[in-house]
Amino acid sequence: MSETTSTPPPAHAGDSSVEVLDDAAPAPNGAYPRPDSFSGVWPPEVIEEIQEKASLGRYQIRGQATKRRGLPSFDDLVFVPAGLSRMPLEGYREKCDTRVVIGEGNCENPLVLERPIMIAGMSFGALSVHAKRALGTAASRCGISTCTGEGGMHHEERRYSDKLVMQYLPSRYGMNPYDLKKADMIEIGAGQGAKPGTGGVLLGLKMSDEVAEMRDLPEGVDQRSPCRHPDWMGADDLYMKLEEIREVTEYKVPISIKVGAARIANDVRIAAKAGVDAIVFDGMEGGTAASPTIQLDHAGIPTVAAIAEASEALAEMGKKDSMRLIVGGGIRNGADAAKCIALGADVVYLGTAPIIAMGCHKPIYLEDYARLGTSPYECQHCHTGLCPVGITTQLPKLMERLDVDEAADSVTNYLNALTMEIQLFARACGKNRVSDLDPNDLRALTYDVSLMTGVDMVGLGGRTPWWKKF
Amino acid sequence: MANSAALTIDCAGRPTRAINEEIRRAADEGVPEVELLNPQARHNLGVSVLKPIHIVYRGHVGSFTAGLCDGITAEVHGTCGWGVADNLMSGEVVVHGNAATSAAPSIRGGRVVVRGDAGPRSGMILKKGELIVGGNTGYMSGFMMQNGRMIVCGDADTGLGDSMYQGVIFLGGTAKEMGSGLEEVDAENGELDEVAALLDRFEIKPPPRFRKLQSDRKLWHFNKHDFAAWKDVL
Repeated sequence: MSETTSTPPPAHAGDSSVEVLDDAAPAPNGAYPRPDSFSGVWPPEVIEEIQEKASLGRYQIRGQATKRRGLPSFDDLVFVPAGLSRMPLEGYREKCDTRVVIGEGNCENPLVLERPIMIAGMSFGALSVHAKRALGTAASRCGISTCTGEGGMHHEERRYSDKLVMQYLPSRYGMNPYDLKKADMIEIGAGQGAKPGTGGVLLGLKMSDEVAEMRDLPEGVDQRSPCRHPDWMGADDLYMKLEEIREVTEYKVPISIKVGAARIANDVRIAAKAGVDAIVFDGMEGGTAASPTIQLDHAGIPTVAAIAEASEALAEMGKKDSMRLIVGGGIRNGADAAKCIALGADVVYLGTAPIIAMGCHKPIYLEDYARLGTSPYECQHCHTGLCPVGITTQLPKLMERLDVDEAADSVTNYLNALTMEIQLFARACGKNRVSDLDPNDLRALTYDVSLMTGVDMVGLGGRTPWWKKF
Repeated sequence: MANSAALTIDCAGRPTRAINEEIRRAADEGVPEVELLNPQARHNLGVSVLKPIHIVYRGHVGSFTAGLCDGITAEVHGTCGWGVADNLMSGEVVVHGNAATSAAPSIRGGRVVVRGDAGPRSGMILKKGELIVGGNTGYMSGFMMQNGRMIVCGDADTGLGDSMYQGVIFLGGTAKEMGSGLEEVDAENGELDEVAALLDRFEIKPPPRFRKLQSDRKLWHFNKHDFAAWKDVL
């Protein structure tokens, strides 16, 4: 074996000939490529996350929703429309009913939704009043409801929303008997999909004088909301609390309860026993104005996995017909919504999608995105209060960027399109009522979603493989 | 025209809904006082009464007594269940016995007086108004108080006033453990005299001294150098 005498000796700690830079110059954004050679355990995003925590000294907080990829999804299901065994309905002529009623037979004024859609709770504070107005206007045009969210009932929201759900949350911000009486439904909040088991967060830049006054908080404070109600804990208490709210609303309007999708069957059993008119499950893809990032990505269960379990528990409690199942979390289009309904939901809850419809992530004011260290389509900086498109902000100059009429039109168009898409699948499956969609109208593309939902795998539905006969 | 005759309702055997409707109707008609006999620890008695009336509960009551009311006065001659005077907007509710968990939760005005002991989480997320406890109070009392005043003549259990944003707590006895983000400050001139006069009005014997506690405001905004305080609350 020949000696490698020409190889220089390795550098060592005392070697003064080793050159190092005197100053650490920050790299410009995007300066580093992301080749496949990066570690699978310590990829750049993990390194960035650790170093951000090292700088902040706390967990990361951001808005919108989890960024996780690869979660079980509605995309893992497909419809099996009519063929010879079943006749489809004419897509452009035959009626396909979309109406849903909540609280029928249990209160004086049930909530009638012209479409199986509700706008999810998003607070004044999280959203600007302009955004709330646009949502209210669009929802009213579509005959569906919007929801106050955590910050109390803003008079503008009430004015522009024909059907308004008031949330009754652990924080009780802005809570009073007069606004409860003005609501068309009360939703007791006990959790949300983006951060089940934790309370709300609203950082100081969004705590304007008006938001602070409505919430009885100091202006500019970083608000942390309690995660559980101050005066009830378990199933029996919930029954009493429900009676209290029915007393306040004089048994006129329905009451729902909202939880983050987690321990679904037991939550359904408790809610059913307490006697609510509807239960809302918000899957882990559910939206938020601000949430610990780690919570967004590692808590709760995906929406598609929640529905069959909830539906089955409702049936077990004998409430499938009387108690409505409302499901939200990452619903993007009419296919997602129709699949939700086919799996057993009565209504879908939309929060993020209508916000995107009105211009969230829109590639305008690019310099403001850049100032936040982000860009359109990856923004998710709702928590900062510096929303470049003026939706999740309380700063008047940014709020002015949202044209309320235009935003209301956009949300209306989106809701119309979504409704048509839902009807499209119902008609294709031969159903003249959207609510008649059922799991037999679906097939699963993956074994895991088939297991979670009980929906047959594609290619295997209801038959014995031919080779088993031999 | 105001109706000067007091009304008496015997709760025994009557549905809560009917009792509450009768109280509200009496308040609407200007009846000055309603006396509830045999409440039998019933929940939700006197909920959402929004016109002035004086409600007298003759006996023990259950949860959410006088919940979500505005402008009423009430006296409970017995013990209370959870959440007495929940979300009171204005008025005054006096409990002559003890109150269970969560007395005066999230009240937005008025005054709640528990002459005996109060359970855990009393005055939780108190927003405005005042809670007076003549005896001791349980753990997490005054948790996340947003404003208003809490007067505890006896002792407090763990976590008193934890994470409160604003408001003050007067503590007569000792706290097993103070909550995060509290500081003790000197009472302002005349403040203790005013508290003593108030207690006298409700025939509550004042303790020899009071400590005045309020938020040190360190939890208003996250500061990594205060991690010792934040680790429990963020």
